[in-house]
Amino acid sequence: MNAREKEQYLREYAVLKSQGKPFFPYAVLKDSLMACIVLIVIITMAILFGSELGPKADLTSTTYSPRPEWYFFFLFELLRVVKPPALVFIATVGIPTICMVLLILLPFFDRNPERNPLKRPIATLAGITVIAAMAYLTIEGAVAGSPTEIEMGVAKQLEPGRAVAASSGCLGCHKIGDNGNSGPGPDLTKVGARLPRQAIARTLINPTPPMPTYSKLRQQNPKEFSQLVEFLAALK
Amino acid sequence: MKLLPGPLRRRREEPAPPPREAGDGDLRKGHEQVALEREKEADRQRRREALQEVPIAVAGWIDERTGAGPFLRGFLYRKVPKGTNWFYTLGSATMFAFLSQAVTGVFLAMYYKPTATEAYSSIQHIDEDIFLGQFVRGMHKWGASVMVVLIFLHMGRTFFFGAYKYPRELNWIIGVVLLILTMAMGLTGYLLPFDMRGLWATVVAVNLNSSGPIVGPYLADFLRGGAEFGATTISRFYAIHMLLIPVLIAALIGAHLYLVAKLGTTAPPWLKAEKARELAKEEI
Amino acid sequence: MPGAFEGETVTRRRLFTGGAMAAGGVATAAFGLPALGFAVGPLFERSVPPSFHDVGPVADFNPQTYVAKVITIDAEVAEAGKATVYVRRFDATRDSDRLKQPYVAISNRCMHLGCPIRYVQASERFICPCHGGVYEFDGKVAGGPPVRPLDRFETKVERGRVKVGPRFSLDSHLHRFKVRDPSNHLDGLWQYIYPSRPTT
Repeated sequence: MNAREKEQYLREYAVLKSQGKPFFPYAVLKDSLMACIVLIVIITMAILFGSELGPKADLTSTTYSPRPEWYFFFLFELLRVVKPPALVFIATVGIPTICMVLLILLPFFDRNPERNPLKRPIATLAGITVIAAMAYLTIEGAVAGSPTEIEMGVAKQLEPGRAVAASSGCLGCHKIGDNGNSGPGPDLTKVGARLPRQAIARTLINPTPPMPTYSKLRQQNPKEFSQLVEFLAALK
Repeated sequence: MKLLPGPLRRRREEPAPPPREAGDGDLRKGHEQVALEREKEADRQRRREALQEVPIAVAGWIDERTGAGPFLRGFLYRKVPKGTNWFYTLGSATMFAFLSQAVTGVFLAMYYKPTATEAYSSIQHIDEDIFLGQFVRGMHKWGASVMVVLIFLHMGRTFFFGAYKYPRELNWIIGVVLLILTMAMGLTGYLLPFDMRGLWATVVAVNLNSSGPIVGPYLADFLRGGAEFGATTISRFYAIHMLLIPVLIAALIGAHLYLVAKLGTTAPPWLKAEKARELAKEEI
Repeated sequence: MPGAFEGETVTRRRLFTGGAMAAGGVATAAFGLPALGFAVGPLFERSVPPSFHDVGPVADFNPQTYVAKVITIDAEVAEAGKATVYVRRFDATRDSDRLKQPYVAISNRCMHLGCPIRYVQASERFICPCHGGVYEFDGKVAGGPPVRPLDRFETKVERGRVKVGPRFSLDSHLHRFKVRDPSNHLDGLWQYIYPSRPTT
């Protein structure tokens, strides 16, 4: 903004300000009402949802799956999306640092004197995109199911197979329903429709690397192996 | 001292209703009694006026010694621009949520024990044995989420109204730093109950710091107080959460409010000042 | 100026100004530096002295599968000072001899961001629940975002009992390094970008 635009803004602002109302009591009333609403919301949530306290901290656990608070879900989900190991530090510190720097320097690279959102399309579109991206990542982080259980409902006779699938580490690389990770392996939610029973069993014995082979499972516990194959073949 | 605005001042300075005139029926009482009654009425009137002077005198005493009068008048009666709507309450709502966190935090701090062995049991003690303990802890926990929601809404409002442009750039920068500090409060506070969720979220967060090139591992060491999660980690997080960051937030909120009062809040951007446009046309 | 000779540069004002700044600096440093040292001090001393922990008799372990054992690294912090170790006997047919350990003791922390991993016997893999990291039987990365193989612990056998000692880190070719944090790469030039620290 050059000096003329600055002066124009200040003049316009002075006029609009003189046409306004005094801070006390008009604005203070709105602020106080809003403060009461905030307090009522906090108290209601405290009474309704209480304050849960999970099990005591234990660093020796091998079954716990860590989750952050909801307002960090967007960063958590970003880490799940960035898979290659060499890019890890970009997702962990690179992107958040760049975003913070951009946010702080915003008034210096947005020098358009226009303030009406309908008349500054780039800024408005950029803002809406960022908000939509963060909202999407937050929701994805929230619905991501536990990676050690399969929450999909199945017929009673398939439940043992579902338990074998959940405890054999399949969810570490595959998605089944809402649970599991979307890589490096393909989504198995409808694998029964794509591959016949025999093909599924063959893949488990002789898979494409990096998938591990489950031939040991078939040797040591053939019943569990066939239950696993039954469950997977029924996913249509 | 003129502290009250127009409508309220007039109501207070209304002259007291005139004392009741003695009517015909009072002749029977006799003139002395009438005079006595009138004197009592005048006495009561004088005492009422004297009582009303007390708060004014107290305020005057303070004003004489602090010079706060002109400052308060300027702050309270400054004009806010035409068209100021409910969106503008989000900033003070965020500050109110912060105050709620500060007050509930002080009460929690009276019972919390910041050591690795006693933290969890002290929180259980708060929940089970202390009167309203669970309620205050719930307020603190949900107040954190409410504050984060409000601060993002306030930032969004400021962005879409273009209120970060000249002359309010410094205010925006202070606001972004406040946002970062608020998220840091959420991060450090999360560890303190020392349950599974808090512990592992903190382990991952510290390792996130460690992934920064060269400086990262040292920063992670600084947060943890060593290479492993140890006895000093909880104390560090507690000191950061309770002392360091709240002081920074309070100082920055003070600076933020000073700038808001000095520069004024923006008018909603869809309003145009007719007079100013005409003046500008005249100049050209 | 009375008393000053020709070309005098140190006026009374300049002397006093300089003196005030210097004295202020000394006073600030007097409380600031010790506080800073106090905060930063732990970065430069070893956090945990190296020691060996008994995990059980030799008969408990075999070369085909991992057995999970709990060791106490820092007794002062109760549960937060313990760690789970997956222990298996060295198998000459599957392991290289470079590290010269009688037993393979693998840490339960994922090398992406430190989440706790599980050993799955059915597929002979270690699985991380957080972001899909998978490791092979010897701890090398099989897939997902982890940046290097799982950390190991030194092992020795004393009087028929297996003892687990200090932790060390490995690059993807199983060369030994001083302990690093989970997200730190170690291959090639990465070991200089993530240097070893005095705390380990």
